[in-house]
Amino acid sequence: MKQRVTLTFPRQMVQIPITYRLAKDFNIAANIIRAQVAPNQVGKLVVELAGDMDQLAAALEWLADSGIEVAQSSREILIDTERCIDCGLCTGVCPTQALTLDKEFRLHFTRTRCIVCEQCIPTCPVVAITTNF
Amino acid sequence: MTLRTWAEINAKIQAKQAVVWTAAALKARVKEWGVARCARTVDVITTGTFEPMEASGAVLNLGQTDPPIKLRQCWLDGVPCYTGFGAVDVVIGASQLGEDEGVERGGGHVIADLIAGQTVSLKAVGQSTDCYPRPTLETRISKDTINQFYLYNPRNLYQNFIVGVNGGDRTLYTYLGPLLPQLGNAVYACTGALSPLLNDPDLRCVGIGTKVFLGGGVGYIAWEGTQHFPLQKRLPNRVPIGPAATVALIGDAQQMQSRWVRGCFFKHYGSSLYLGVGVPFPVLDEQVIVACAVQDEEIVVPVMDFAIPRRVRPSFGLVSYAQLKSGRITINGTQVRTAPLASISWSMEVAEILKSWIERGEFTLNEPIAPLPMDRAFLSQDGLE
Repeated sequence: MKQRVTLTFPRQMVQIPITYRLAKDFNIAANIIRAQVAPNQVGKLVVELAGDMDQLAAALEWLADSGIEVAQSSREILIDTERCIDCGLCTGVCPTQALTLDKEFRLHFTRTRCIVCEQCIPTCPVVAITTNF
Repeated sequence: MTLRTWAEINAKIQAKQAVVWTAAALKARVKEWGVARCARTVDVITTGTFEPMEASGAVLNLGQTDPPIKLRQCWLDGVPCYTGFGAVDVVIGASQLGEDEGVERGGGHVIADLIAGQTVSLKAVGQSTDCYPRPTLETRISKDTINQFYLYNPRNLYQNFIVGVNGGDRTLYTYLGPLLPQLGNAVYACTGALSPLLNDPDLRCVGIGTKVFLGGGVGYIAWEGTQHFPLQKRLPNRVPIGPAATVALIGDAQQMQSRWVRGCFFKHYGSSLYLGVGVPFPVLDEQVIVACAVQDEEIVVPVMDFAIPRRVRPSFGLVSYAQLKSGRITINGTQVRTAPLASISWSMEVAEILKSWIERGEFTLNEPIAPLPMDRAFLSQDGLE
């Protein structure tokens, strides 16, 4: 089976050869759709994983256990502007600067930058951020 | 040299002729105009903030039941309240958590719901006495079905604060929100040059009895706040370099607006209350303008490492609010993303609303009836080891 996921690497995880480990340890073919990796920075990988269903589940578990954020790419982040108080707390945990404060310190969400890592959801103190799943 | 008195300013407000600027407007114009011209022109400067105030609570008087009850335990929407005052007096604290497992809700949400006009459930256990025989009470209340409902903040308007970072290797869940490991983010709670008491560092214009914007209604400075520490080290411009003065605020919650009172929850930490507070400053003399002209570049704050959970946390040194508001600070040579905890745009809006109230003659200024103490120590507590 195939599954498309977005992987977000903390800065200290960028050195690990992920696709090699997926192939060798789990017999998974990882087709890289999009990648943003640079030394000493948060890395992002949108990959299509193909392999045996059980091994795919084990691979995703291994990724999560290694400290890599695994997100289903079909999810989308939604901001409830009625609830949002423009505090900007979420902008500090957003790894791709999809969430930013503009010059007037109003929250601005750039959907195309969002990798749906969902770190912003538990950060929001007024439950203004959700996913559509 | 005195330019105008409190009475003269209030006479102008009542005649709807007062010139009112927000602190943000003054800061933008004072370089061009100079202090003297600003001081001659402006009567009142308004400041505002919209930030979480954990040290918030509300006092409610329910009215008596028949037969009467003396409350000894009480829950509002599942949040335990304090009942050790009069028979049907109830106090609820913003940071008190609901008792249901996993609930991300507390007293701050209950207070906000009541202000929003919602009905909340009340469960209470009484102590049966000859004069108060009723053993239990279950009902629903709203702000319109109870006698008194007023907000009381033992601590509010912190004059400067700290910046939180995490030098450890796991995410920390704090009162500043999540702090990501390896200096993943930095959170600052104070709005810097916009913060009300940083515009009056020596508390010349505020004291007990000062009238303020509180939660969209009117409130007053009731007392010094808890942890009031005016003796904090200060820069030559008198601005403290860490947490300093605080005030206690009181105001009628029945008059407040839900827009400016919001329950909030910090993951794996607890509940609190976002509260809008606005403070007006009378331009009595040029010194008021000098103090309100302070810029983000001229206010510094310590960066504290929350990975060391001690009373005195290690500091990565001082940064300015100009650096914090730029979105990045540098710690140990590493760029760290910054995020505010207070809503800076809503803080500016509070100052704008208070300005409009004063311009319309609806809000006059109160001269303090007593000053706030300027010599409080900052004591700590140790257990019996």
